Amino acid sequence: MYYKDLLMTNSIFIKIGFFLLVAFGFISVSNAQIKTIKGVVIASDTKETLPGATVLIKGTTTGVVTGIDGNYSIAVTTDKATLVFSYVGYNQKEVEITNQTIIDIQLEPKKTTLDEIVVIGYGSVRKSDLSGSVGSVKSEDITKITALNPVQSLQGNVTGVQVTSSSGVPGENPSVRIRGVGTFNNSDPIYVVDGVIVDNISFLSSSDIISMEVLKDASASAIYGSRGANGVIMVTTKMGKAIDEKTAFSFSGEVGIQNLAKKIGLLNGRDFAIISNEIKSGSFNNVDAVPNTDWQNLIFHSAPILDFQLSASGSSKNIQYYISGGYFKQCGIIDKSSYERITLKINNIYNLSKYVKLGNNITIAPYTQQVAPNVTYDAYRAKPTLVPYYPDGSFAVVPGVGNPLADLAYSNNFNRGVRGVGNIFGEVNFLKAFTFKSSFGIDAAYNKSENFTPAFTIYNPDGTISQQQNLMSSLSKNNNYYFTWLWENTINFKKEFGKHSIDAVAGYTMQNTTSDGFDLFGKNLIRDASSFWYIQPAYIYDPANNVNTISNIKESVNLKQYYSMISFLIRVNYVFNKKYILTATFRSDGSSKFALNNRYASFPSFALGWNVSQEKFMQNIKWLNKLKVRASWGKLGNDKIDYWDRYARVESNILAIFGTNNDPNTGASYGINGNPNLKWEVTTQTDIGLEFGVLDSRLTAEFDYYNKKTDDILVFLSTPGYLGNGAGAKVRFNAASVVNRGFELNLNWRDQVGKFKYIVGILGTTLHNEVLSIGGNSGVDSVLIGGYLGNGIPVTLSKAGLPIGAFYGYQTDGVFQSQAELDAYPHNSQAGVGDLRFVDINGDGKIDGLDRTYIGSPIPTFIFGFNFGFEILGIDFSVNVQGQTGNKIFNGKDAVRPDPYNFESRVLDRWTGPGTSNTEPRPSFGGYNYTPSDYFIQDASFLRIRNVTLGYMLPSSWSTKIYMQKIRIYIKADNLYTLTKYTGYTPEIGSDDPLSPGIDSGVYPITAFYSIGINLNF
Amino acid sequence: MKPFTKLFFLILGFTSVILFPGCKKFLQKDLQGTLTQQAFPVSPSDALLATNATYEAIREWYYHSGGYPILDIMSDDARKGSNPNDQASNLNPYDNFTFSPTQDGLDRWWNTLYVGVKRANVVIEKIPAIQMDETLKTRYIAESRFIRGLIYFDFVRAWGGVPLVTTTDPPLKLPRASSNDIFNLVISDLQFAIDNLPLQSDYASEDLGRATKGAAQAMLARVYLFQHDFFNAEIYAMAVINSGQYGLEPVFTDANGVNGNNGIESVFEIGALQAESTEGGGDQYANTQGVRGTPNRGWGFNRPTIDLRNSFEPGDPRYKGTVININDTIDGVVILGDGSTPKVTYDEHGNIIEIECYNRKVWVPGNNTITQWGHHRRLIRYSDVLLMAAEALNENNKPGEALICLNMVRARARQGNNTILPDITVTDQTELRDIIFNERRHELGMEGWRFWDVIRTGRAAQILGPLGFITGKHELLPIPQSEIDISQGSLLQNPNW
Repeated sequence: MYYKDLLMTNSIFIKIGFFLLVAFGFISVSNAQIKTIKGVVIASDTKETLPGATVLIKGTTTGVVTGIDGNYSIAVTTDKATLVFSYVGYNQKEVEITNQTIIDIQLEPKKTTLDEIVVIGYGSVRKSDLSGSVGSVKSEDITKITALNPVQSLQGNVTGVQVTSSSGVPGENPSVRIRGVGTFNNSDPIYVVDGVIVDNISFLSSSDIISMEVLKDASASAIYGSRGANGVIMVTTKMGKAIDEKTAFSFSGEVGIQNLAKKIGLLNGRDFAIISNEIKSGSFNNVDAVPNTDWQNLIFHSAPILDFQLSASGSSKNIQYYISGGYFKQCGIIDKSSYERITLKINNIYNLSKYVKLGNNITIAPYTQQVAPNVTYDAYRAKPTLVPYYPDGSFAVVPGVGNPLADLAYSNNFNRGVRGVGNIFGEVNFLKAFTFKSSFGIDAAYNKSENFTPAFTIYNPDGTISQQQNLMSSLSKNNNYYFTWLWENTINFKKEFGKHSIDAVAGYTMQNTTSDGFDLFGKNLIRDASSFWYIQPAYIYDPANNVNTISNIKESVNLKQYYSMISFLIRVNYVFNKKYILTATFRSDGSSKFALNNRYASFPSFALGWNVSQEKFMQNIKWLNKLKVRASWGKLGNDKIDYWDRYARVESNILAIFGTNNDPNTGASYGINGNPNLKWEVTTQTDIGLEFGVLDSRLTAEFDYYNKKTDDILVFLSTPGYLGNGAGAKVRFNAASVVNRGFELNLNWRDQVGKFKYIVGILGTTLHNEVLSIGGNSGVDSVLIGGYLGNGIPVTLSKAGLPIGAFYGYQTDGVFQSQAELDAYPHNSQAGVGDLRFVDINGDGKIDGLDRTYIGSPIPTFIFGFNFGFEILGIDFSVNVQGQTGNKIFNGKDAVRPDPYNFESRVLDRWTGPGTSNTEPRPSFGGYNYTPSDYFIQDASFLRIRNVTLGYMLPSSWSTKIYMQKIRIYIKADNLYTLTKYTGYTPEIGSDDPLSPGIDSGVYPITAFYSIGINLNF
Repeated sequence: MKPFTKLFFLILGFTSVILFPGCKKFLQKDLQGTLTQQAFPVSPSDALLATNATYEAIREWYYHSGGYPILDIMSDDARKGSNPNDQASNLNPYDNFTFSPTQDGLDRWWNTLYVGVKRANVVIEKIPAIQMDETLKTRYIAESRFIRGLIYFDFVRAWGGVPLVTTTDPPLKLPRASSNDIFNLVISDLQFAIDNLPLQSDYASEDLGRATKGAAQAMLARVYLFQHDFFNAEIYAMAVINSGQYGLEPVFTDANGVNGNNGIESVFEIGALQAESTEGGGDQYANTQGVRGTPNRGWGFNRPTIDLRNSFEPGDPRYKGTVININDTIDGVVILGDGSTPKVTYDEHGNIIEIECYNRKVWVPGNNTITQWGHHRRLIRYSDVLLMAAEALNENNKPGEALICLNMVRARARQGNNTILPDITVTDQTELRDIIFNERRHELGMEGWRFWDVIRTGRAAQILGPLGFITGKHELLPIPQSEIDISQGSLLQNPNW
């Protein structure tokens, strides 16, 4: 025993050693051989040979893969060996070797691939016993996309899910919407990572995840009650198998390069000079002699991504384990932006006895992010006729914008922190059918941000000081602490008797979340080097300028992350005769965010499922091997509001300045009125689904209708000014309703023609989003205005009958072609011939703010995806395409022009006289034509080749020679091509604020990414 | 029992002990670092805090709709300023009277005024119950009633009748009160302030800037003048003059400048620190209007018009005290102006319609934008009181006394140069009325009073008509459309909007 363990340990060391040797470029050859077994592997159904089937000596990692004709030849070192034959889609078969030298094998095909196990809240269930709507993604699809946040892999792989990368900023989390936007508050789903509820999963490495399940309907997510309204994403990380398993090592490494996927068409120097002369004659004397600076070329460059991960998983008699370490680094395509993350993962299960288990799942992820200033917008605006540097090499002035290269040079903005998420749990199995589980989880984070700007001045050409300057060096810091604990205690009951099968769970949970942060601000540091980036009181007074700069220190709790909850939950899943499924769920939540009288709320749900294909009358229909109908109804809640919304608050630190010495006198008074009557927001969701598989499940399909109505939405509404809450202040009310409804379709075709295995998948989601009411007749606002542009002008208005965050502004119907036309139509006094013609919506004969109207929806009406993949002779290829239609973008970066800026190239088609353009007005540097109107609305529809991967699995006869079980190399491209009419960098414009979606204010561009990688299993 | 069974019962027992009795407490999360309104104000020190807070509302940037006071831009004294595009669609409509109820800025001014009302009401309603020094308590209430009166006077001049709020807990769907009701509240608030506030000289030097008896009297004179109640206007203006508390700064530019902060001419001003934020004690008013370009002192909004520039009497030093021209040297700084602003703007016929220049009244010595935040905006100057007295006396057929007040202002403006700005000797009431009206323009130009002067003297059609003013409509601003929408029918718009 001892000797055997030692051998095993040795072989692990040998493997690690070999891996390192290979990594450093050494080659080693193995030479031990005793006996050779030969044979052919055949499929029992087709009687064809199976190339690429695996033949493994049991208990070892030694194995071979069958050749083109299904033949294999394997060297066996002992007489008492067992060969394991396996092939994807077929049942594994074991044959003990006695004295044969030739073993021919027939493998039986697996009957169905549909009966997978699906993870749901507080348990898991066979897919056939599931009555709710759950989408699932497995590890091979999760790792296909190279991204910091594994949630990116859901896009185009699960119906009803929209993942939008708001920008290409390294480290930025994408926004995730499941079945539309059902609230005006935080619309993000919750994530449950191995039982711990978290708000995002950017701390996880894709390689550590075995599956992600999206709980979409009320039946599936009601077990998370108040948190489930925006959907739930269950994340399960890897673990060694329960059976005795040898340590399996896995290494994946990928390096790649990102490029700007698309440049915005802006004017060159000459064209800009010509247009400028039209606006104001004599602006440029010789348009052929002006500089031509391409600011986009100056700020963007190619940048690498590195992603490495090494893991080990396995089990010995009583311990299952998975440990891994990962490193991810993304440099931005703009200087001074990057993200770097280390992930450490430790998952263990300790089987203390047949009935008792202890375990832990722990992730620790430290990170460093550098954030660049928004120079994308600066490069967009800077005139091409300006140069970045003066002849002496110093930064040149870019009036009205600021020199983007100088902004970059003087920017030092870092976020550093660590996040730790994990739990320990104990499980006791008793009376055979019962399992008690107690899990204590934590989510702890510490983040420290630091932003230093040295003193600098950009001079005008005449040597005077320009507006781009920082008089004194300034340093701001923010230290943030976050801690949540979650204690969950559940009892499961699982029993099958006769034709009845019951799976029930009951439990209660407690959660407490606290956080607070310090903001510190100082000026005039003694030196600029990073070793002096500390705030000290001595720097408050600036004698050189005789100015007091108050060094501010502010501490506050994070309003969204200070609360506690207590929940009771119960779910019963009853299946009769494998045909009829009934699921009932009930959860009661109490939240500290509500006053005593409204603190608790209950969220019930019911679902029915019918496996029609199990019925006798279906047995004769051979082509249809699976048919299931299901329906669910339930209520979900939402309490994602600020902890203090219910309190009427006093505002302190209001200063009054009195006295001959200008003394600040502190004051305090009533601030914003609270709303003590706040209660839970409730979403009622109905789902009807149909699943079927035909032609031996070659074609599988899932079809759902959903209707999700949210009432009593917790919404910030403007209150009457006379309440004294102040300009722009809003108070939270339960006063809005929104509906999201639509269809989801997921079709997959899997088949094999000879050695050619392929899969085609299509998915589509329709979405109708509509605000049903806001405010009621309560004396507070009945519309929600948002989407503020850089100049403070709002461009979205949400009200009954429109989608959330609908764009509003003037509607245009052409360009005034002549003075006569101008005189004949109502127009704003600033409008002239050649300007946009606004429609007099209310017909009062004049154009004013009351004529602003609905000009487009930011929410897509159809989201779709398409997947294709094949495997042959070790080669694997896959392509993933996705897109959306029906939504619009407000090109906010074009619409804000306090100063003369460069133009998008559409200005070249401008109006130049009667009968010329009726869409592009005469050029101007600002003013009337830049009033928010549908002139700035663009179609956001797109079709994107999101990912193309080509891989090659080295024949096992090669890999086994270097003690590797599997070697796969691949090349891939992300965001290879996007078909869209939108003129900006990307048609995907995400936003955290449902009232400000789809507004492009100059985003950091999404990149195209090309990479090469390797996966090793050994 | 096996250890695991023990563990199970231990956990079960432990949780039920914590869970059930502790539920209510576990789910109680009190406000952190912030008081609830129920817990404030309760002590003498709270009373002082609440009183101080009322003063802050008028240091807000949105007071008068933003550091670019739309009232001056609406008058014949100022244009939008800054470069031609900056805020063009927001501000030009005020300049040419094409603004609408949805115009940017109206709602912010409206909302900010009510913040001041609310804070004043906290003091007026809650402080009486606090056990404290009665004299001090009365003063706090009087200070707050002064601010409330000042704010409601802004309201009634700008919009007429508005929702009248005198409690901290007004009902929803409150309709507009009549403008008479508002005037009555203003007068009673200011009267209470007059009766209970100390004289300026009775305040300690560290309290200068708080409301005084003189300030309340001057405000009341201004209110009565607006109502054409010249009898009472004279009484209260003369009360300020006869108090002996005030005088004129020898140097005209000191009247609004840093040397005159809390000085002899300052009847009421808004204190501010040289700090780059409102929260930090700064006032962005002068930064918004400060010289744009070189030297970089601000954004350059609120630009004196050609008409104002040309209206000064020959040699009047107040021209240079009102207008900063390009190439002027002030405090040793040469004004070069802004690259994105045309030095001269012409109309289509080649007439000059604008010259790049800036508001001298907000100039602050220094060498950066931050110092501009320390400008103390004057809400009542003694010279204004003298001119109000002159106006009232003239209307009350006391031209001789009116001339004394008027000539005091002119004498100071002369700055010792006897060849300019001769004393006025005209006693004809109509002629003198016009002279005083013009004197106000030159003495108080760019300080935010011109529009009201034009309105209250009935000259709007004549002076502002050419700029787009429509009689019967533009005397009052429209109620912000957002407020009408929110009110769901309880707020009615002003006529002709």
